Amino acid sequence: MNNFYLKIGLVCVALLAGAWPAAALDGVVIIVNKSVAADRINDAALKDIYTGRTTYWADGQSVKLTVLDNQITDKTDAASEEVSGMDASHFKTFWQRMVFSGRGQMPKEIGDTAALVAYVASTKGAIAIVLADADLKGVKTLKVK
Amino acid sequence: MRILKENKIKRWASILLPALLAAFSDGPLAAYELNLGTNLPPVDFHGFVSQGFLYSSKYDYLGDSSRGSFLFSEAGLNASFNPFPRTRIAAQAFSYDVGPAGDYDVVLDYAQAEYTFNDFVGIRAGRIRRPEGIYNDIQDVDLARTWILLPQGMYNARWRDFYVNLDGGEIFGNIPLVKAGSLSYEFYYGLQNPKLDGGLSLQKANLPPYSPLTSINSPQLGGGQLWWNTPLDGLRAGVALNYDRDLTFVTANGRQSDGSPFTQHYSLEYLWKSWTFQAEYLRFKINYENTGGGPPPSTKLIEPDSWYVSAAYRFNKYIEAGTYYTEYYADVNNRSGTGLQFPSDASQKDAALSLRYDATDWWIFKVEAHYIRGTAQLLDNADNPSRNDDGWWMIAVKTTFSF
Repeated sequence: MNNFYLKIGLVCVALLAGAWPAAALDGVVIIVNKSVAADRINDAALKDIYTGRTTYWADGQSVKLTVLDNQITDKTDAASEEVSGMDASHFKTFWQRMVFSGRGQMPKEIGDTAALVAYVASTKGAIAIVLADADLKGVKTLKVK
Repeated sequence: MRILKENKIKRWASILLPALLAAFSDGPLAAYELNLGTNLPPVDFHGFVSQGFLYSSKYDYLGDSSRGSFLFSEAGLNASFNPFPRTRIAAQAFSYDVGPAGDYDVVLDYAQAEYTFNDFVGIRAGRIRRPEGIYNDIQDVDLARTWILLPQGMYNARWRDFYVNLDGGEIFGNIPLVKAGSLSYEFYYGLQNPKLDGGLSLQKANLPPYSPLTSINSPQLGGGQLWWNTPLDGLRAGVALNYDRDLTFVTANGRQSDGSPFTQHYSLEYLWKSWTFQAEYLRFKINYENTGGGPPPSTKLIEPDSWYVSAAYRFNKYIEAGTYYTEYYADVNNRSGTGLQFPSDASQKDAALSLRYDATDWWIFKVEAHYIRGTAQLLDNADNPSRNDDGWWMIAVKTTFSF
């Protein structure tokens, strides 16, 4: 019995210490519209954007979250899952709940990488995850701290 | 005949409006973005239309289900835009019908202005959705869940006029807890919008002394929802408390009831890979003071509670399956129904199995089987004159279009 409580206690300590494993954002980059003042972003701030807790940049312009429709690449899919903490299905459902309860705006879905980069380049406040080897003309990349 | 005709018009209007917008949208039922000009922000439109069918093996539940009922529909259309920095305006029109409730009336579901000071605090005012538990503020959005019927002891489809929104304001935000995750909060205050033909009236007409409402006030409602988003991705725990001040209604027999309901709602949700696990408990308490209508003044304590546990698994982009078990008790002080004309009216226990098929990003089908014991939530004595605790089945089918 004591071992049981000891294990529960260790799990709780591990959770509170933030010791749950996290993978790296391999093979992808975070891009934003050039209107975004930031040059870097930390994991927590990125997660807050993908989970709707941050909806405005520091200067007050709206965050326009942009995603690839239908998870075109495994890498961007995995990165989105890692950043948001939700798989593609949960991510979609989460944002549907936000939209239809009046608490958020649906991420813009774009069909291919080139179109997504073009949308981010032309839309103030836009942010997206794309493959690192994509043509990133017209957008700014954020370093993830 | 005239009422039937009006219902048909309302029904087709509620379906056609979102469909028309969808037809003008960019691609197959994609969200519609209306550009107002180069210096103005675009307006985003989203919508959905659902049509369901209910069939039960024994009782009429949520409509004339023993004969098969198609009176099970929802449609919503919303628009939002950011006119100024940190400011958002959003509104949604909604129409529904489930058996005797809703009647395809088009209502203003929410219409709100929101200002976000920073991640920690924002304010929202107007007609707002009431946050409570995992589903209350989205309980009529079929596409945002696995189930067709949510656990009805907690999210009763016929009570949405009383439960889903309020006219007032709220303060909301998210507080980081360093290594311990974060705390999301919403605290609200305002007036509710109960309808004379809504869930409360339905309940009064089907419980002693069997008299529907002739008047009801718009009680003040204050409360809040807290969510602890734990450091473990996907795991969150919530508590919601709210208090109605001075709910007053009069029934057709002249009896006036006054009370101030207090609700506690506890939630746990874990999203892990393709799994969704949820558990919730709700307890409601009201002490009515009854006066007029003939009998001497009296007081009556009503204290129902309900809980459920659920699990759902997404197999791939197209298929999701899930199951839940839920129990509802009309009065925690009489769970066995002692003294009731039909003791089965004291509780309702429901085991559900659901299958969801996402044919496209904008078109889903669901089928669901329920095995139910107890009759506490039928609220249809006229069509169910005799009730017992034997088990019975309900089958639900539903399809939803969205954009």
